[in-house]
Amino acid sequence: MNLVTVAARNALRNKLRTSLTVIGAAVAVLAFIMLRTVLSAWNVAADHAAKDRLGTRHKVSFILPLPKKYIETVRAVPGVKQACYSNWFGAKDPKDENNFFASLAMDPSCLEVFDEMVVEPSEKAAWLADRKGAIVGDVLAKKLGVKVGDRVTLTGTIYPGDWQFTVDGIYKATRKSVDRSQFIFHWDYLNESLPVQRREQIGWISARVDDPSRGAAISAEIDRIFDEKDVQTATMSERAMNLSFMAMLSAMLSALNIVSVMILLIMMMILGNTIAMAVRERTREYGVLRAVGFSPRHIGIFIVGEAVTVGLLSGFVGLALAYPIVELGMGRFLEENMGGMFPYFRIEISTMVAAIFLAVGLSTLAAILPAYQASKLSVTDALRRVA
Amino acid sequence: MAAEEKAPSGKPIVELRGVAKTFFRGKEPIAVLENLDLEIPEGSYEALMGPSGSGKSTLLNLIAGLDRPTRGQAIVAGNNLTTMTDGDLARFRSRTMGFIFQAYNLMPVLTALENVELPLLLTNLSGSERRKRAQTALRVVGLEERMGHYPRQLSGGQEQRVAIARAIVNDPQIIVADEPTGDLDRKSADEILNLLETLNAEFKKTILMVTHDPAAAERAKVTRRLDKGSLL
Repeated sequence: MNLVTVAARNALRNKLRTSLTVIGAAVAVLAFIMLRTVLSAWNVAADHAAKDRLGTRHKVSFILPLPKKYIETVRAVPGVKQACYSNWFGAKDPKDENNFFASLAMDPSCLEVFDEMVVEPSEKAAWLADRKGAIVGDVLAKKLGVKVGDRVTLTGTIYPGDWQFTVDGIYKATRKSVDRSQFIFHWDYLNESLPVQRREQIGWISARVDDPSRGAAISAEIDRIFDEKDVQTATMSERAMNLSFMAMLSAMLSALNIVSVMILLIMMMILGNTIAMAVRERTREYGVLRAVGFSPRHIGIFIVGEAVTVGLLSGFVGLALAYPIVELGMGRFLEENMGGMFPYFRIEISTMVAAIFLAVGLSTLAAILPAYQASKLSVTDALRRVA
Repeated sequence: MAAEEKAPSGKPIVELRGVAKTFFRGKEPIAVLENLDLEIPEGSYEALMGPSGSGKSTLLNLIAGLDRPTRGQAIVAGNNLTTMTDGDLARFRSRTMGFIFQAYNLMPVLTALENVELPLLLTNLSGSERRKRAQTALRVVGLEERMGHYPRQLSGGQEQRVAIARAIVNDPQIIVADEPTGDLDRKSADEILNLLETLNAEFKKTILMVTHDPAAAERAKVTRRLDKGSLL
């Protein structure tokens, strides 16, 4: 027996109250973990972006197109190893219009630029030979219920009409930032189907450089080349490009951040209330401890020790609740149904550690005032106190 | 200073000189003890009686180092309590004093053995040595069969005996008891009083007991009476 084990046993004295407090705080920990996981899942594409990849888009806005001829200029810039172009297509499945997935018209060389998307060589060869062919992410294929060789009809939103494709391949991902719910087809098929005045326009250029440390210099060089043209470009690292996508959602991300902080404050108040009640009930016991020789510092250790015990329990119970919910339930659902936004929805180790540390830290913080007040009581006042 | 009956003639272990204690209710001063002189010889067993509000518990608290006098000097076991810091007083209490309360005040989450061991957490003794001493103290009070019981599993008399074991485990020179039989039936009260007599007679502990119970006071060697803050 020592002071800490006595404090821990005190924390479990009123089992119903401690259980309710732990459950309340654990729900707050669960909510915190889920919100932080949403935020980290949103950032995963940026965090895991390839360091040797650049993105070039219209200088004014991502939604404005670039002339296709720019691709050759970019490929010729010293330091650029490979480059390809893509357009956002924005298709819907006519059988399930609420099923959102990314559909892209791509230059075939994008499979080399984005080599983390892996397709069987035979399927890749079939796609290259098929103008109306498509490659589908494994998660989307499962969701659409399609396999190699199936015919798929999608409805265009940016490019109206019914578009027919043959699934030539299904790609898998070797990196967790890859959206496994994309529908990819030939840019030429899109281009040839458009009215003449809308042809030869691309959404953005993706380029790989031979030396990632020169990425900024190469970006500046590309933009300098197009500075004197009618359409200027903004070139940036893939990470910056992904972040610029997310900037559109910055208000929502800020709101989530604020909510996660507020949840922690609520947790601290739940714990503070419980600790204050427990301290009030045990004032007489603290008086007895002081009488037999324990110092005010010891009383503080007792109270903070109780709070740490409750905080630890809350943190671990919250984590135990969050893990199956996120990893087995919500995470899988979001990856399969909203892979474009959440390609990898899992709890980060740093989030788990932060949740435990915050639960313990905030419990300690909540205990400081009651501990201070209890330690300042005179022994005789404490002994006279009836809870 | 008036003392009744068979007073022992050892050197004084408690010396109070001109002690006064004043409390404040808001700004209004309330004098509880006034210009009090008292000497208690080492090895004595004294009862302190008086009506409610006469200052018995306040006097006990001053002697035990739980409180400081407003005026005067309190010397207990060679320590001038008037000049000691809070930390020094805490150390003094843990080494010199044993406390017995009316309501036992045991920690409900600890077993009898652990409750007795509690004051020893402040010492440098090893865990096994602490346990051994706590077991010895429980044996002295006749509860060796109840060491693993929690307070809720004990009778009032047994709880008070655990409290006595806790009071003697650190081998204090003085035991202060505030109404130790106040919550007990006659039979249990007699057992506790027998135990206190044994501690005084065999273990040479100086015992100072506040009580309203004439039968309890009867068992002490000396009975002092307090009224309106003064010893009669």
